[in-house]
Amino acid sequence: MSRINTTLRSKKILIDQFAHQGLKTLALLSASFIFLIGSVILVKGLTPFLTDNDGLGRVGLIPFLTGNVWLIGPTFQSSLYSVGFLIITTLYIVFLSLLISFPVGVLTALFIAKIAPKKLAECFRSVVEILASIPSIIYGLFGAGFILKIVYQMSQLVGVQSKGGNSVLSTVIILALMTIPTITTVSEVAIRSVDQRLIEGSLALGASFTQTNFKVVLTAAKSGIFTAAILGVGRALGEATAVSLVAGGRRSGLSFDLLDTTATLTTTMLEGMKESQGLDYNIRFSVGMVLLVVILITNFLLNLIKRKVGKIHVK
Amino acid sequence: MSNKRKAQDFLLQFWTYFAAFFSFATLSLIIFFIFTNGVKLLNLDLITHDYQAKTHIAEPLAPNDTDYFEPEETLKAEVYYSPRWGLGLIDSIDLMGKTQVEIAYVHPSSPFQQLHDKGLSHELLSLKPDMMIIRIAYSDQPSSLARYGAERMIDELALSNQIRELEFTIPGGGIRGSIITTFYLIVFSLLFALPIGIGAAIYLNEYAKNNRFTRLLRSFIELLTGVPSIIYGLMGLAFFVPFIINVSSATSGSILSGSMTMAVILLPVVIRTTEESLKVVPDEYRQGSLALGASKTQTTFRIVLPGAFPGVLSATLLAIGRIIGESAALVFAIGTAIKDDIRVTEQSTSLAVHIWAMMTDEPANIELSSTIAIIILLIVLLLNLLIKLLTRRFLRKVSAPR
Repeated sequence: MSRINTTLRSKKILIDQFAHQGLKTLALLSASFIFLIGSVILVKGLTPFLTDNDGLGRVGLIPFLTGNVWLIGPTFQSSLYSVGFLIITTLYIVFLSLLISFPVGVLTALFIAKIAPKKLAECFRSVVEILASIPSIIYGLFGAGFILKIVYQMSQLVGVQSKGGNSVLSTVIILALMTIPTITTVSEVAIRSVDQRLIEGSLALGASFTQTNFKVVLTAAKSGIFTAAILGVGRALGEATAVSLVAGGRRSGLSFDLLDTTATLTTTMLEGMKESQGLDYNIRFSVGMVLLVVILITNFLLNLIKRKVGKIHVK
Repeated sequence: MSNKRKAQDFLLQFWTYFAAFFSFATLSLIIFFIFTNGVKLLNLDLITHDYQAKTHIAEPLAPNDTDYFEPEETLKAEVYYSPRWGLGLIDSIDLMGKTQVEIAYVHPSSPFQQLHDKGLSHELLSLKPDMMIIRIAYSDQPSSLARYGAERMIDELALSNQIRELEFTIPGGGIRGSIITTFYLIVFSLLFALPIGIGAAIYLNEYAKNNRFTRLLRSFIELLTGVPSIIYGLMGLAFFVPFIINVSSATSGSILSGSMTMAVILLPVVIRTTEESLKVVPDEYRQGSLALGASKTQTTFRIVLPGAFPGVLSATLLAIGRIIGESAALVFAIGTAIKDDIRVTEQSTSLAVHIWAMMTDEPANIELSSTIAIIILLIVLLLNLLIKLLTRRFLRKVSAPR
């Protein structure tokens, strides 16, 4: 009897160990994908800079990062790629879109969390949730079918010939619309978790309701609100398909003109890939690598600012 | 309170209202835009039809022996019917506003049921409702053309004894292929992502000790959420596409390589959602099960995992929503060729990529894109609603016994 028990128990232990190791493998596998992504992008992305590219010549890293033309010369016959102007346009567009989405997003969050009556707040929260769940391609479709036309007509009023509305402005509007729900959701949580005693204290000292909301609540929640902005910037930097439908695919020349066509790192990556090997294929991984670096640096800088800003206390 | 203060308060208050209604207006505008553009193409044909229109030139195989075909169903008043040929035609107008002749009814023993394709394929064809007749050529009289309408075509058909050839179109513009692709993508992506994701979540929540190694694992998985989907697409293109080409008959991006890429995108979502629901399962359940002599494995898979089932289900629903909406990664990992015959080792488009492919084409097809967008939007909204209901019920169920 006891022997049966022992074998049973040892079998159980064996199964337990087997399950433990199996599940651990799955967890390790999940964690390893980030390295797979990193190494694939790095290996493919560095190829244009390190090899001869089948006789086309090496792509220079410095010209690549500073140049003003995506490709000088015909495709498959030239190695003179550069993304310098794309890096700056990408950051410029994301910054402009944040100028719209940040105030609108934060104020919407304030409205939902503190100002609106309960029923209305519930309704607006659902609206934001739905906006957040709309896939980016639908934003792109909306941009291409609606925003482009409006921007086109507006530019005609001003007397500028914009190319069917494909412009910095359209791109900025679409990106802003897409990041508002992200910013709203995250800052709402931050605003709602502000200590109630702080608010009561402010009201007791004679500040009006609105003054309290703007000077106390928003200041107290600023760390969370800043996180929201960082997430919004992250989403805007990585957005590809929606932007590619409204940007206009600019190939060269840095332009800050709101009504001029534009391109970002992501739209350039998406543009007409014809081969599955060679330089024209590999260079997209280099652009991807640049995009990842831009995202990492922006995130790092914003987090640094957040730490600085976070130290100021409620006045 | 001073008037200046009041005015300032009012202004600030106004801006918050404005911001909130801005979000509301955006949503309404998007929905309004998509519905006004897309609703006219929204019908069952869209889901059953192929995307590419096909035109055939064919001749009837057998001569027409019988002279009279009684229709087996009552036809609508607008249908012109030729009892001699057993063919009912109806006038219709295509998207460009041109007159077309559409087939409304074909008698089961009509000579039009057996047609010989005169093109390269030599396959056996038959006329079916919804197809468009472009031209009928006779041996004994001038041809009838679609632009003169259905009535004249039927009259001319009645006068003829012998049809030389017949040109007709199987209409395109449908999204059957993309719906099937999306379905395959959902099935395969979940097949890859769910076992790995749930397994990893169980390990992290039930087995892993709270040490540096586990925290490192967690942070690596968490890092995946910050990677833009286009980068996942590049990874799929450079890793999974060659992998699938090596192990199967695929020659380029395929549904399988797309599903694998999608599975990596889904992993952090599946892991996080599953882990959260595992955390909610009360510790008493685990202790009770262990005290009754069950092994750790039995406890985990028979007690804890069933308890976390609603969480796993909502992870699945979240994943499905993500698969349906994903475009950038799939453009790279599968490709953008819109197909009608779907094979898992070949290129084809999901619904979202179908929109992208049409919008980057010249000229952009906004109507059909909006129709697909309506379908995507409805599915996504439904999934969101289901997840909400599920979470609410789950929370009630868990909090009830305490």
